[in-house]
Amino acid sequence: MDNSELQPIFDFMCQLPPFDSLDQTILKQCCQSLTIAYYGKQQQLVHVDTNQAQLYIVRSGAFEVTTQQGELIDRIAEGQFFGFSGMLSGEKVVNQVHILEDGLVYHLPATMFDQLRAQSHSFDRFFNQAFAKRLRNQGSISNKHINTARITHIMCRNLTTIHPDATIHQAALLMSEKRLSSLVVMEDQLLCGILTDRDLRNRVLAKGLNGDLLVKQVMTDNPFTIEPNALIFEAMLKMSENNIHHLPVVDKVDLAGQEQQGKKPIGIITSTDLIRSQSSQPLLLIGQIDRQNSLEEIIQVSQKIPELLHNLISSDAKAIEIGRILTSVTDSLTRRLITIKQMQLGEAPMSFCWLAFGSQGRQDQMAGSDQDNALVLEREPKQTEQAYFKALSEYVCHALDACGFPFCPGNIMAQNPQWQLSLKQWQQQFTSWVRTPNPKALLNATIFFDIRPISGDFHLFEQLQETILKTTKNNDIFIAAMTKNALQSTPPLGFFRSLVIERDGSEVKGIDLKHKGNALINDIVRIYSLAAGVAEVNTSKRLESLISKNKIDKEIAMSLLDAWEFIAHKRLTNQGLQFNKQQTVSNYILPDNLSPLARHQLKDAFKVIHEAQSTIRLKFLRRF
Amino acid sequence: MLKQWWLQRQLKKRINNSSLDSARMHYQYLLDHLHQPISTVNLLALDIEMTGLDPKKNQMVSIGIIPIINAQIQPKLAQYKLIKIQGSVGQSAVIHGVLDNDLKHALSIQEILLWLFKQCEDKVLVAHHAPLDLQFLQRALLSTQIHSQPLLAIDTLHIDKERQLRQHQVLKTGSLRLNACRSRYNLPIYNAHNALTDALACAELLLAQLSQMGGMEDITLAQLLIKNR
Repeated sequence: MDNSELQPIFDFMCQLPPFDSLDQTILKQCCQSLTIAYYGKQQQLVHVDTNQAQLYIVRSGAFEVTTQQGELIDRIAEGQFFGFSGMLSGEKVVNQVHILEDGLVYHLPATMFDQLRAQSHSFDRFFNQAFAKRLRNQGSISNKHINTARITHIMCRNLTTIHPDATIHQAALLMSEKRLSSLVVMEDQLLCGILTDRDLRNRVLAKGLNGDLLVKQVMTDNPFTIEPNALIFEAMLKMSENNIHHLPVVDKVDLAGQEQQGKKPIGIITSTDLIRSQSSQPLLLIGQIDRQNSLEEIIQVSQKIPELLHNLISSDAKAIEIGRILTSVTDSLTRRLITIKQMQLGEAPMSFCWLAFGSQGRQDQMAGSDQDNALVLEREPKQTEQAYFKALSEYVCHALDACGFPFCPGNIMAQNPQWQLSLKQWQQQFTSWVRTPNPKALLNATIFFDIRPISGDFHLFEQLQETILKTTKNNDIFIAAMTKNALQSTPPLGFFRSLVIERDGSEVKGIDLKHKGNALINDIVRIYSLAAGVAEVNTSKRLESLISKNKIDKEIAMSLLDAWEFIAHKRLTNQGLQFNKQQTVSNYILPDNLSPLARHQLKDAFKVIHEAQSTIRLKFLRRF
Repeated sequence: MLKQWWLQRQLKKRINNSSLDSARMHYQYLLDHLHQPISTVNLLALDIEMTGLDPKKNQMVSIGIIPIINAQIQPKLAQYKLIKIQGSVGQSAVIHGVLDNDLKHALSIQEILLWLFKQCEDKVLVAHHAPLDLQFLQRALLSTQIHSQPLLAIDTLHIDKERQLRQHQVLKTGSLRLNACRSRYNLPIYNAHNALTDALACAELLLAQLSQMGGMEDITLAQLLIKNR
């Protein structure tokens, strides 16, 4: 030990984020530059010298930062800081610092603070209030895992295209010349179909037709496509579910004067590309699900879901993508169960669509999610027809329960006759919720408005969604009621020792990261989306869509996205921890299980939510 | 009043009898600031590690000092010195961690005393259980014939002892040790027995004590200063 060092100061500083990331020599200089003061409760306030800015590092004791009006901003204990916002913004500090418990405080002069920010990127990031910038630069989230890799990494960008009016002879020549198994058929820069080896074989040669036929007569029109930001995993799923080997990758573009968006091809993905990019575990699981023919077998396969979740967590995949993968498994499970039951029941007496709501609808399911689903029917069923849907839905809901997706406590399930409605009844139901937004309707809204079709006739769903968006879009009264409802729950202010501090200053033991975190963001984003008539239901897709339509401030949207991901990631790692310790998996986290850095970042994430809540209060309630 | 009059006399005597400039300046500083609030007085917290607790038999091994200026501790100005001794540190190395080998480049006791007076020309000494440190220094001063009058210091142990007695508490064994005192003021516990760490610990304790006594504005130096008995 070097006796000339002040060991206790160094020992404390070298384990304190962000100082812990500093180089030893720099940290020693930094320790040298500190001065130390003691603040006793009798003084009541820390006298902050506005002419001499400095960072206050709390070594012991407790402090409370409030505005001059007395609103609580933060409560601070050992290892936390105050006084830096002024140094970052250059504005004079007007907040008051109250002394709650006597304590020792280190002062870091502004010159040293600025020097450290200039020298160390991570130090600067820690204190930089640009939250989004900070979290995005985390680097802890890797994309190396195959399941979460994007298709843009493996798709072929060098497209060979042909015009629909070309002959298939010309097409075959082109394919053999370029050694291709498919051609993308394009007109005016837009996708109109796809022509594959198999089409030439089955639709031309096998039928004894000749090469003079036109491409448009043979091609598959309106083929399945995928968007460039989709996961490789989603491409695999789409191909295996539809038994196809080619998937054009398209950008959706708005067309002048047309309601529907056009598809602009930017690449193509083939099953060979996918095989080359390795096989993956979730897909194997879904493959297994699709091969099972009995409930017992399905239940057995579904027991692997917690393990899949655990693997995804330990591979450090993004929370958003884990949610999508897990939801895909649930979707497949639901579809397979419907198929199995239909094999027994026979064809449905009318077309129907199985709908998912809530987390499955939003594609952000995590461990322990309960089921929220319903049926939309072509028309009101007769008594005999009703029996069919009763048998089908009861089977599927009970089976999902047995597979680890417990019944919805609010009974929002397809087996509940209340939620087996015809399209028309559904449309009326939504319209009445929107027209008379009483508390019950608003509670329903948070679940029912995140809706996604799972199986059956998707056209029924599309008609329903169209009605919903038409009634909510620019509906000030409904949106204001939704906003008021969403503002009833607020994120915590931060952490204080082993406790969580709420915004009113009360202290609680732990925090529910779902309801006090992700759900609040989902609520905010849903309000923006319904107001703007955005059809997406996944929170991140909603935000992307809102940004592209200019319906949300881009900074807010990006910050919300980052905050969502950060909180969800913490939630998942906590669940991974609980899984390892064989505890009940929950959304509840204790501050003691959070590192000082994670506390700091979570606090920032809560702040983003708080600010977004203030924004919607102003925007949709027109209130301060 | 009596104490203040006595203090003034003592200080004047020392100023007149000191042959060393820095010693005279030190006492002059004390005299000038006797009635000043302690917040305006420069302080120097000090700790000495020894080979034992008997000033007659044992020797000083190391010394750590850290100034308190404007009521704030100044780590930048902290210093630590090793002191040459006669013979070996022996078993005491276990406590203070200073080995014979470390002392090869140490300063002589004479050099240490001159350095220390230089450091406190414009500061008041503070120590925990100050009489012990002062006795060791006093013996060294006598042996080197630099100065013959005992030094004066603020004693953080004494402050806490008075406080406990005032509150009619029975003094428990060990309740006046540095870390025991510190824990009463919500101060972190340090690994003791490094002269510099203990000097820092003592400085922090003094700030805490002053804060609890009603703040540094209302207390004068004279109220805190004690004599080595």
